[in-house]
Amino acid sequence: MSLEDASLDIAPGELLAVVGENGAGKSSLMNVLYGLYHPDAGTFLMDGKPVRFKSPRDAIARGIGMVHQHFMLVPTLTVAENVVLGREPTKRGLLDLDRACDEVAATAKRFGFQLDPRARVDTLTVGSQQKVEIVKALHRGAQVLILDEPTAVLTPQESDELSQVMRGLVAQGRTVVLISHKLKEVLGVADRVAVMRRGRTVAVVRASETTVSALASLMVGEGSRGAAMTGVPAVAAGTQDAATGPVVLEAKDLRATGDNGRPALQGVSLTVRAGEIVGIAGVDGNGQRELAEVLTGLRKLDGGEGTLLGGPLAGLTPALAKARGVGHVPEDRLARAVVKAMTVEENVALGRHRQPPFARGPWVDFKGRRERTNQLLSGYDVRPNDPVVALQALSGGNQQKVVVARELDADPKLLVVVQPTRGLDIGAVAQVHERLRDAKARGAGVVMVSLDLEEVLALSDRVYVLYEGRVTGHFPRKDLDERALGRCMLGAEAGHG
Amino acid sequence: MGERTRQVLPSVLSVLLALAVCWLTIALTRDADTATRAYLQMLWGGVGNWPAFLEGGNSTAVLRPLGEAAMKAALLTLTGLSVAVAFKVGLFNIGAQGQMIWGALAAALVGAHVSLPGVLHVPLALIAAAVAGAAWASIAGVLKLKRGVHEVISTIMLNWVAVSLVDNWLVIGPLRAVAEGASSITGTAEILPSSQLPRLLGDSSRLNLGFPLALATALGVWVWLSRTRSGYETRAVGLTPEAARAAGIPTLWRAGGAMALAGALAGLAGAVLVLGTEGRYPGSLGAPYGFDGIAIALIGNNHPLGAALAATVFGILRAGGTRMQLLGVHKSFPELIQGFALLFVAGRMVWLALLERRQKRALAEKPAQAGVEVPRA
Repeated sequence: MSLEDASLDIAPGELLAVVGENGAGKSSLMNVLYGLYHPDAGTFLMDGKPVRFKSPRDAIARGIGMVHQHFMLVPTLTVAENVVLGREPTKRGLLDLDRACDEVAATAKRFGFQLDPRARVDTLTVGSQQKVEIVKALHRGAQVLILDEPTAVLTPQESDELSQVMRGLVAQGRTVVLISHKLKEVLGVADRVAVMRRGRTVAVVRASETTVSALASLMVGEGSRGAAMTGVPAVAAGTQDAATGPVVLEAKDLRATGDNGRPALQGVSLTVRAGEIVGIAGVDGNGQRELAEVLTGLRKLDGGEGTLLGGPLAGLTPALAKARGVGHVPEDRLARAVVKAMTVEENVALGRHRQPPFARGPWVDFKGRRERTNQLLSGYDVRPNDPVVALQALSGGNQQKVVVARELDADPKLLVVVQPTRGLDIGAVAQVHERLRDAKARGAGVVMVSLDLEEVLALSDRVYVLYEGRVTGHFPRKDLDERALGRCMLGAEAGHG
Repeated sequence: MGERTRQVLPSVLSVLLALAVCWLTIALTRDADTATRAYLQMLWGGVGNWPAFLEGGNSTAVLRPLGEAAMKAALLTLTGLSVAVAFKVGLFNIGAQGQMIWGALAAALVGAHVSLPGVLHVPLALIAAAVAGAAWASIAGVLKLKRGVHEVISTIMLNWVAVSLVDNWLVIGPLRAVAEGASSITGTAEILPSSQLPRLLGDSSRLNLGFPLALATALGVWVWLSRTRSGYETRAVGLTPEAARAAGIPTLWRAGGAMALAGALAGLAGAVLVLGTEGRYPGSLGAPYGFDGIAIALIGNNHPLGAALAATVFGILRAGGTRMQLLGVHKSFPELIQGFALLFVAGRMVWLALLERRQKRALAEKPAQAGVEVPRA
């Protein structure tokens, strides 16, 4: 049951934000509006008349458009082809590409987007792909545009730009519904904010009349947790300028090729010591993912050398990395970190399934595995607290808790985490952050790749900035500055030191 | 609906629906009475004519059918397991037939040309068959893992290679038994008595060690998949290969190992056929048990015990099929039932959706009843 008794009014020409923790029902409510889910009870009025959408097709016909968190684009087609997909203009029965391009260019121009209709989608940045999604919805005549977690994948600059885009749409009379976790961002852009908790809408407030902490306590429903929700402190407690622990990773001039066959790492050098969190900042797609894969043995090095936990970095395999004490919280949880069709306890064992308490000789140790899983589920407050449920039955936040619990339970000497809190609600974010600090306090070196600059700033003792596979900036804690980082993320060399 | 029910129910319903559809077909083309009597004959032919036995004490009426059913069930179990094991690691083994051919040939050669006491001879012949099947399957496995050749294509082609090499050359050429006297024999030399699978119910029934052996193998495969580290790794590789790789599991070895095991199981099927009933590699292997294994694995939901159960059910139906001819119904009906069951089980998700809707409706009705009862209390 993800929605119970949720009510929402959307006024024409407003920018309404819907906020809530993971599993609060934001996406479910929007999917009802968009015709993907059918409500068991309740009414849905549009312009005062009751409507019933059988499928998204009905919703689109009534002028509702949706931009999903995961883009629904065909990467090998051009912008124009993607936008007109499903309602292609034709000439004598054949696709009229020129007209498609003209039409799409006109729509883009009308709403102030800069997009080349002939560019292939897989050559665009994530931010531009998102614009393609928005243009697609507008092109189909959307009057009401629903955006699901649109900034989860964007850089700060791109997020700012998106805010302007949304305000622009509202100025042209369109209605925008924004689903988000990021309260600060929401307050900066929305007219009204609807707060959801456990499937109900608990409050609708004017953005100008509320604060981040007021919203946060509405979201979690209790005053005590509210304080932790207000976002991260400007300077995180316990961070330090220079870790003095032994070096766990020393890498020089690393080179590697990306999945697309282009060089992804072009000479990256970095050092990580025990007991520090090293942030890797950068705009998505500048080699961070590949760097994490090299450090965990998943990607082959083309060149460069390094020492990782006492052994060479070259020739590292996932098994070897694990044996040396590397923990890994990958970006794509469902593809890399878990087997979603297996049970929670089977996933807790994954990677350590050959050693006690998960195995005894060649046999699976059911009892030991159950005990350890129960401990971790309680310790990390995973819900439902059930070791034999299939992992895919858990919400994304709880799945991530299972992954983090598993990796930290192995007491890693080097922990590589990528986007550890992407898509999590603030309660879970705070918990994951706390666990990363715990790992550091226990003497692990932590490499944290994150696209969320606030996260990088909050947790890191040092920050490397990657741009096009090179390090363009290296900031110790005391020199951390959001603007300077931002410049390096866009390619300006600075702050080597 | 529990997870176990979700796994089992669609298969059971599919088989029942297939039985119903075929009954209806006979009833429409002949009449309902004939259809019912034909099904009864099929049942007597599969599990034995118990009424006749209880009335007249005719034990052959029970023992013979049981032996036929068990023999077919044993072969279907082993080939079904072969396909299911490959499925578990994410590979589609269409090549059970070819692997079975080599297993049968290896068993026939060891059975005929090696001289050993029975306690050793039978195991040796079985091992030889398993190794031969595994080796043949490994060709497809290596092609897949080293060169990316799709296993469906390679196993289908390897089936034809096996048929050509064994049936069309070795068995009628170099390995052909030398005819004794006037009788001409097809196939390889007869196996020595020491390598025959012992019969369990005397001479009137062909029930031999093969069936218990197949069931024990199914149990063993199930224990391996569910209770051992390597079985766990194999399932992980099949479900999410990238996550398995990231967890340090040697994915290539696991996939290759599962493919080899699949071949070994199909090879064992060949051995059970030769050592249990044929007594030699016949002129050709005849019935395509290897292909039936695909249907059995799917109807059994790729579960080792499910495959054994499905194989037993269809072993019974197919053994009984011949008796349908007494009523002028073609003996291929059991195969038709199997085909329909496969077709219906492919719609597993449709079954589950229907069942869930029913369950929801039942739940919706319950509170209403409770509402009536509360005032009374």
